[in-house]
Amino acid sequence: MEYKRVDKIPLPPANAKVYTTACDYCVVGCGYKVYVWPDGREGGPKAHQNALNMDYPAPPLSGRWISPNQHNYCVVQGKKHHVVVIPDGDATVVNRGGNHSIRGGCLAQKVYNPEGPTADRLKYPQIRIHGKLTPVSWDTALAVMARLSKYIIGKYGEAAWGMKTYSYEFFENTYAISKLAFESIQTPAYSEHDKPGPGNDTAGLDDSGIDAFSASYHDYSLADVIFISGTDPFETKTVIFTDWILKGHPNKIIMVLPRKTAGAAYAEKTGGLFLQIIPGADTILHLALSKIILENGWQDQEFIDKYVANRFEIDSGFGRGTRNTPWQWRTTWGKLGATYQEYRDWVLSSKEAELDFASHTTGIPKDQILKAAEMIAGPVDGKRPKTSFVLEKGNYWSNNYLNTASYAALGLLCGAGNRPGQVISRLGGHQRGWYGAASYPILLSPEKFPGRRKKEIDLDRWVEAGKLRFAWCIGTTWTGAMAASQELAQSFRRLTRENPHQIQSADEDEIVKTLKNRVDSEGMVVVHQDIYLREPMGTELADLVLPASGWGEVDLTRCNGERRLRLYSKFCDAPGEAKADWWIISRFAQKMGFKGYDWKDSNQVFEEAARFGRGGVLNYHPLVVYVKKLGIRAHELLREMGTRGIQTPVRYRTHPTESQEYLEYTGYYRSSMTAGVLVGTKRLHDPTLDPGVPEGPTVHQKWLTAFNSHSGKALLHKTPWEFFSDFYERIKPKGDELWVTTGRINEVWQSAFDDMRRPYIMERWPDTFVEIHPDDASPRGIESGDVVRIENDDVLIQTGGFVGVEDDDLSFTRLNEQGLIRVGKGAVEAVAMVTEDVRPGVLFTNFLHASSPANSLVHRVPDPITNRYRFKLGKGRIRKVAESPYKKSLAKMSFAPRTVMGILKVAALEQKKEEEWW
Amino acid sequence: MAEENPIEKILNMPGNCLMTRRQFLKGMGAATSTILLSDIFLHPLLGRAALVTQDYPRKKIGGLSLLKNDQPLEFLYPDESAHAICFLVKLGERAHGGVGPQEDIVAFSNLCTHQGGLMRGLYDAQYKVAGPCPLHLTTFDLTRHGMVVSGHATEGLPQIVLEVEGDDIYATGVQGLIYGQASNVSA
Repeated sequence: MEYKRVDKIPLPPANAKVYTTACDYCVVGCGYKVYVWPDGREGGPKAHQNALNMDYPAPPLSGRWISPNQHNYCVVQGKKHHVVVIPDGDATVVNRGGNHSIRGGCLAQKVYNPEGPTADRLKYPQIRIHGKLTPVSWDTALAVMARLSKYIIGKYGEAAWGMKTYSYEFFENTYAISKLAFESIQTPAYSEHDKPGPGNDTAGLDDSGIDAFSASYHDYSLADVIFISGTDPFETKTVIFTDWILKGHPNKIIMVLPRKTAGAAYAEKTGGLFLQIIPGADTILHLALSKIILENGWQDQEFIDKYVANRFEIDSGFGRGTRNTPWQWRTTWGKLGATYQEYRDWVLSSKEAELDFASHTTGIPKDQILKAAEMIAGPVDGKRPKTSFVLEKGNYWSNNYLNTASYAALGLLCGAGNRPGQVISRLGGHQRGWYGAASYPILLSPEKFPGRRKKEIDLDRWVEAGKLRFAWCIGTTWTGAMAASQELAQSFRRLTRENPHQIQSADEDEIVKTLKNRVDSEGMVVVHQDIYLREPMGTELADLVLPASGWGEVDLTRCNGERRLRLYSKFCDAPGEAKADWWIISRFAQKMGFKGYDWKDSNQVFEEAARFGRGGVLNYHPLVVYVKKLGIRAHELLREMGTRGIQTPVRYRTHPTESQEYLEYTGYYRSSMTAGVLVGTKRLHDPTLDPGVPEGPTVHQKWLTAFNSHSGKALLHKTPWEFFSDFYERIKPKGDELWVTTGRINEVWQSAFDDMRRPYIMERWPDTFVEIHPDDASPRGIESGDVVRIENDDVLIQTGGFVGVEDDDLSFTRLNEQGLIRVGKGAVEAVAMVTEDVRPGVLFTNFLHASSPANSLVHRVPDPITNRYRFKLGKGRIRKVAESPYKKSLAKMSFAPRTVMGILKVAALEQKKEEEWW
Repeated sequence: MAEENPIEKILNMPGNCLMTRRQFLKGMGAATSTILLSDIFLHPLLGRAALVTQDYPRKKIGGLSLLKNDQPLEFLYPDESAHAICFLVKLGERAHGGVGPQEDIVAFSNLCTHQGGLMRGLYDAQYKVAGPCPLHLTTFDLTRHGMVVSGHATEGLPQIVLEVEGDDIYATGVQGLIYGQASNVSA
């Protein structure tokens, strides 16, 4: 796949069709415009000759330039059309003025073009007959699935029928998925794409009363100091960094990562700090910082007195019975939940919070820890800095509960969590596209914490235990995305391909008979529904492969990382017989005999879903009520609202008291046809917001203006190191092993399902890479450009422990004693990049490369408190196996450091007025 | 280099700056003598067909003997407009598309292909990288035909096709679309 440079692009003619959408990739969700026009026509370079109304050449920051990767061809009603996808140059929110990342900037290359690299989109339902995927009709595929599902549920129960799906591919689809799984079938065997089972990602934040996406992007402009843990937004939430942080209040950035990134280098260069931490040690850093702050009296006492729960408030609201949810239990069981005074006493007396211990455990020099504490909380000219605390996977995917709870506590001590520029938030990975039709049926879950509290399933362990007979996997690679990937794929292989019952006939009855024999002989049937055939789920493991349509092919909706709801417009045809996921679910459900799935289009699903989100932060129900008064469809109102959309929860007010500036930011809608205004919500837990009384369909949840706890107060949690240290000591690299940690890079989204079809991106990254420090590379004879193999023959895998009885039953030590930890293997190959940017003793690699999934090197023992994997704490031995062609060739792959900040002249830093510079 | 240093002139024109959104001057109309090329220009050093779909001028932009390692020189190409700001640099190490005895002389557009930031004076001699761009910090690898190292550009930095004749270095084409243009050469 050669990338061909071109020196001209076709301009959309003045009458090209224009659609608005948002980026399909990272959480930021930049606004985009799509121009579509028939092949054979072109616009001209004068403003009146083109649909962008631009005289070419376009000036810098015009938001009106079309780069070659922003043009493609698509199919509209069967005919070849031009398509241009560019960031919305008129945007005043999110990506103001048309800023964008390299991912979104290449969206046009995602579009199905039968003459381009996306020609291999899945087009027809297929069944693996004689080992070969063979096209069948939708009717046959869905009939086979339904007949088999009824059989399995009848014979083995709901928990033998499971789904593994994305959590984010648009409200309409996730609503359909959750309606099927949780309402109609009521299976507990469900899991989202990025975790072994449902539930919180950052439980420590939730337990503290903080919604993980409570902030607005504007908060990152308002902060004096931004403490960023376990991510570099430059790399993965790009426009948050390049727009809201870079152009923000003169600010200082502290970034905590094992590997220096471009953003970390920028932080160092602009008066901030880069704390190069040993993987997994974040809790200790948070405790040490908290201790220094408390010792110096830098805590925000006024905030604490006003907003942090006292003992009565911690215990109130629960009565004296069982604490039914994990967070109620964790808060009140006495080991974690603490008043300010209790927390203070605990931190000040903790050995783990002592500077010597912290510096040794985290690998961060003492002076840097002291400096960081002063920067986030020390008064400047007698004034407390406005500090925001933001985190992502490097934090919560290495030590899930303790890292997030100690991080939230640190933020709360500094007065963050609910005010402009002083927020505690996730930065996010993917966008927020989950709309649940019903709750997860936790009472049916096979898992239980010690005591009587139920726990969501670990679906991977359930599969390995042979309990799942039917697995419907939608829009994720499953095995590659989960820990100990190769071991998991091997389990799938054992349950599917290595079972003697393989389909040998195209006859529906014969197929069902064979697959019944499969499940009756402890085997499993797998359905993979996706846009491409993926390894190994589609290519090897699935018995049925179903073609999905997606972004640009169906009108769909979802929210971004500041809860901004937009319509993602349909502008082209889906390939072949590919269908929207909601459609596939609905037709399957109808074959199962379930009622309420007779949707005609995605708008109908969207409108139906609204009433199930009324209690949540993504509530848009007032919008649906409003459009009924106007006699229009909800999708059409969103289409009118364009790339600005509206921030949820959507509220209805007859006389809004929010300022015009606030409304311009959140989005709002006013119609002369009916009374009242739909208004958006910029920030949650925000005491500066006056929402008035709830009017019409508006719901005022406590978290709108207070913290999300029973009392509305924030909660502090102790984070005893011994909850983690047994596991941590066991998995620390020994001998010549090195830590293997992973992450995203700007140029590649998720498993590269789109990027591998972009010659431009494949020129940059023809293969996956691993960063290694010269101190580790040189004794192993490894140079940049060498192909290396990383092997871990000590991958720990939990095999049981579904039910805890005694207090510490699910601790790593006890699981080990009970023989519930087995040792597996994993190995991946990558091209070495020798760089001083990565910490000695640590390897860094892309987290989801399809053919070499780095998660293979990661232990599959979830955090016993939250059932979340420690994805960032893999390990392995590395050796050179060959030289890659890229070592000598100058055509593909760059080995230059990503942190070059040698001569830094940042326009935003040169005190330019904003309007002057964009 | 052009005699009256049209680059400084463009950058110093009142109201102009490559930094402003509203005013971006089309620059000066100085005529260049052009040599028309055939549709497909096969460059021996690029190792593959460089797709040049248009007629580019052939313009002398420097001399081998005048170039010092890591000291970029600016020139305008393919026309005399503000969008034509380019730089020529002898990297001191072999580069894709490089000319000269060491194949280390390359030239690129000076406008970032993310949002058109002016990359003037932002050459990193240690790593042979252009940038970080003052707007959003994108960097480009000059040994690898201007490939993005880190950042946001959806196209590499457009590389100027060079030819050497005696001591003279000529620009003869552009690989890639220059920021802001719908076509590198106006019809």
